[in-house]
Formats: sequence, C-alpha cells, structure tokens
Amino acid sequence: MEKQKWKRYWNVISSNNLGLLGISLLVIFLLIALLAPLLAPFDPTARVGAPFSKPNGDFLLGTNDIGQDILSELLYGTRVSLLIGILAALISIILGCLVGIVSGYYGGKVDSFLMRLVDLVLVIPFLPLMILLAAFIGPSFWNIILVISLLSWASPARVIRSQVLTLKTKGYVEAARSIGTSIKVILFRHILPGVIPIALSQFVMAASHSILIEASLSFLGLGDPFTKSWGTILYYAQARGAFLTDAWIWWVLPPGLLITTLVIGFAFTGYSLEEILNPRLRKER
Amino acid sequence: MGKFLASKFLQYVIVIFLMLTLNFLLPRLMPGNPLIFLAGEDVGFMSSAEKEAILEKHGLNQSIWQQYGTYIKHIFTGDFGYSYQQKRPITDLLMERLPWTLLLTGLGLVISTVIGVLFGTISAWRRGTKTDANLLTMFMFLSAMPSFWVGMILVSIFAAQLGWFPVFGAEAAWSNFKGVDRFIDIVEHLVLPLTTLVLISVTSTFMIMRYSMLNVLGEDYIMMAKAKGVKEKVIKYKHAMRNALLPVATVFMLSLGFTLGGATVIETVFAYPGVGRLMFESVLSRDYPLIQATFLIITFSVVIANFLADLLYPLLDPKVGK
Repeated sequence: MEKQKWKRYWNVISSNNLGLLGISLLVIFLLIALLAPLLAPFDPTARVGAPFSKPNGDFLLGTNDIGQDILSELLYGTRVSLLIGILAALISIILGCLVGIVSGYYGGKVDSFLMRLVDLVLVIPFLPLMILLAAFIGPSFWNIILVISLLSWASPARVIRSQVLTLKTKGYVEAARSIGTSIKVILFRHILPGVIPIALSQFVMAASHSILIEASLSFLGLGDPFTKSWGTILYYAQARGAFLTDAWIWWVLPPGLLITTLVIGFAFTGYSLEEILNPRLRKER
Repeated sequence: MGKFLASKFLQYVIVIFLMLTLNFLLPRLMPGNPLIFLAGEDVGFMSSAEKEAILEKHGLNQSIWQQYGTYIKHIFTGDFGYSYQQKRPITDLLMERLPWTLLLTGLGLVISTVIGVLFGTISAWRRGTKTDANLLTMFMFLSAMPSFWVGMILVSIFAAQLGWFPVFGAEAAWSNFKGVDRFIDIVEHLVLPLTTLVLISVTSTFMIMRYSMLNVLGEDYIMMAKAKGVKEKVIKYKHAMRNALLPVATVFMLSLGFTLGGATVIETVFAYPGVGRLMFESVLSRDYPLIQATFLIITFSVVIANFLADLLYPLLDPKVGK
C-alpha cells in the first residue's frame, strides 16, 4: 500500500516537466557537492595563481584577489550552500511539525497560544533580526543554521496545523479515539503519516529559502569565515570591487547563477509536490 | 471590527516589547565584556574615567530591573544612545537615513504590487496557455535570484559597462544641485536600486493575484456575467479583479518585512544611504548599539505599516467593515 502510494507520487512527479527538471537539478548539485574534490582542478584554499587573473587555460574562471581558483571555490561552495540549506530547512520543519501537530491536535488554549506566537514571528522583519543575531552570537556554520531555522518554522507550522485539523475529523482517527487508543499511537500511526507529504513539500520550499538567506547573510559578511559558500565568494567580489570591472563576468555572474539554479531546483520540486498534494491544481492545468 | 483592531494592536505591542527586551538582553547575556557591546571595540583605549561614565550612563552599576527601566525610558524619549564609532548620537544618524529607506521601499512596494497585480490577472485569465506558463516560469526565476546579486549584475551592466546610471549613492557627491537638477540626480540614483527591489519582491504579489483570480473566475457571478454577454474587459477588470484584490492586501502587509529586509541588502550593494546600509556599516565596524538601533527602527516601521494596513483593510473588504 505504502509502496504503491510512493510509486504514484513518483509517476505524477515524473509526468510533470517542472518536477522532473527540479529533481534532476537537485541530483546534479548533489553529485557536484559529493564529487567536489575530484572535479575541482585546485585546492580552493590554496593560492595557486596570480591575483585577479583573467580566465585562461589553467583557471577557467580566473582567480580572485588572493590568487585562489574561482572555479574550485564554486565547486566546493556547493557543499556549504547545499548543506546549510538542507540542515536549516530540516530543523525548521521539525520545529514546524512539532508546533503544528501539538497546536492542531490539542486545540484550545495551547492552540491559540501557539498560533499567536506564529503571528508574532511572522510580523518580525526576518533578515534584519537575523543580521542582529548573527552579529551578536558571531558568524559560524552552526550559528547560521541555528539563526535561520529558529526564525523559519512559523509558516510551515501553520500549514501543518491546518492539515492536522483536517486529519482529526477523518473517520479512522475519530474511530481510533473513540475506542480509547493512546495518544501516542494516534499521533504516530494516524496523524504523522498524513502530515509527512505536506511536511516534505514545506521542507523543499524551506530549503530554497534557507539557501537564499544564507547567501544574503554571507554576502553581508556574516557567513562562516572558514567555509566559503557562494554568498561568501560574492562578498569578496563586492568588497574588492570586481563587479565594477570586466571581472563581473567570471567572478560575479557564476556564483549567482548557481544559487539561482539550486533554488529553482528546490522550488520546481516543491511546486510539483504541491500539485500532487492538491489534486485540484492538477485538474486545472 | 474594534475587537479585531484591538487584538492586532495588542499583538504589535507585544512584538515591540519582545524585540526591545531581546535588544536589552543581547549585550548583557553574551559572554565577554558588555562594555564592548555597549560602547564598541574602542573600550580598550578608554581611560577608567571614561569607562565609568559609560557604565554610569547605561546604569550598569544598578540592578538589572533598574537598567531595564532606564533602557525603556531612553527608547521612548527617542534616545537610542551614542555611536562610539561614528561619534554621533544614534537618533541623528537614523533620522538622516530613514527618508531614503522610506523612499526606496515605499516606491518599491507600490510598483511591485501594481506589476504583480497586472501580470497575475493576465496569467489567470489565460490559464493553461503558453502566456501563463511563460509568466509563471519567469516570476519563479525572479524569486529564485539573490537580491544582492541582481543588484550587482545591474550595476555591472548599466552603471560600470554602459555608464547609463551612477554606480552608488543617493545623490552625486560634492555637487550642489538645486531644484529640478537635484530631483533628476536623485531619480538617476534611484533607478537601479528600485529596479532591483521591484524585481525581487514582485513574485509574491503575482502568485497570490494569479491564485486569487483563478478562484474568483470559478465563481457563479462570473459565469452569470459571461452568460449575460457582459464585455470581457468589464468582467475581467470590474467583476473579477476587484474581488481578487483582497488577498493581495494581506500579502502587501506580510511583504513589508520582506521588502525592508531586501532593502537592507540592496542598499548595501548600491551604497544607498538608508537605514539598511547603516545596519551593514555598523555590522562591519562592530558598532553594536548602532546595529541594535537600526534593527529597532526597521521593526518599528514594519509594525506601524502593518497596523496602518489593518486600519485600511475594512475599507477594502466590505465584509469585514460591517
């Protein structure tokens, strides 16, 4: 039964061009991240050429201000951007699921308190608060993930809550409750499986947001100074004025294109997942 | 209606109170000398008398509750403290920068809403056609691009390479333009940052408008109007669009925070002298009181704008009004 369900998902995703494109992009980026040491011509942290070299046979995308190979930086940067995006999204979805399920299932005062909290978090201007926190707790790999996920759980929580509310009224859940099934069993056997597909599409969307936010923080100089992400590369390109010279073509353009493509990969995947979950959208097309 | 506004108002008061408390606690909870967070890295070079004066001013010798009271009193009397890096009162700095941010984000919000609504209507009206698919793909791509990168690319092409627009700032430096000349100069400086802001914030309006329009077009009264032979234009703009606009108003509120956040990054790229750029400068120089003050002023702006939008909402939606 479960297997069939997943197979059906797969059929819908693969019959949908956008979804297929999205997943292919994600697979390609995953491969680049895994194979970075094999693909990269140089060690991204080593000074291998003259500073500010133009693209040539040795350095396909030139070198940066201290003579590091930009192409190698980009290939290794995939690891950082992808990892931060996925981890931050994972934590925020777990938080979102917790809040959403508790809120939706228990209802009453707990629900209204948690939903008020969600409203509060949604009003706060996101990026400025992240800048404030990152500036105070200091830039590091885990701090960035922490800051992003602590502020991104609110809207997934709301979506998951409304799904739980729908599930609660389903016959099998009411039946289970009426025969006195324990809450643990109801939550894990009946509610959670119904929540997972929506959580998955929320996760994919959250990952695309997290990647963009990480890029912005790194661009503002609040990224982890020891792991160079695509945003960090752009921070240096900005600080050294590369975008005012011809170097914009090989130093500024590529990292941004990579960020956009990765985000698009997640967004397309998420979009097609939503279509699966919401058959009304499917019929309309 | 009054109840709705009252609960919204309470919510905003809580947000402000929480953010003030966070701001108060951050420098005092972080490990290390709180003096560095309150007065900047220069503390090491200060005489003990100067340090004493700063401790005195922030009341660091008092109990935490007294300190909190002093802090709140200062904020509400418009005293955001002193920037030891820029050697100026923070309130002056903020007042100098705020108009530029309001200009940029205000225009950005209006323009991106208009564009989003128009294209959202077109897209929904031609649902399932190639136009719809193309528009959807284009707007999805726009929302996938990092804002600062869009800005950098626009500067590279239109300012550095083609020389059509100035590279940075809000006005030409050391010029004494007056009247019309000054206006033109300001507009020229505004074009690229504004374009960037519109490009990155237009997608949310477009998506909501398209979705809401699709729902409205399925309603009975649209079918009825069509059956009666009402002109297509009239149905589209008078019947459908007006009703589909409501959710856009909600998104408009929610996107305020996003737009101001986006402006922070965009102002940085263009060295545009707004509050966002001020925040970036203060991050660079580790000017902690200034980081906090810029954050507070952005939060205040978002909260005030949200509340204004709540006040206007009933005018748009007769159902809420009654």
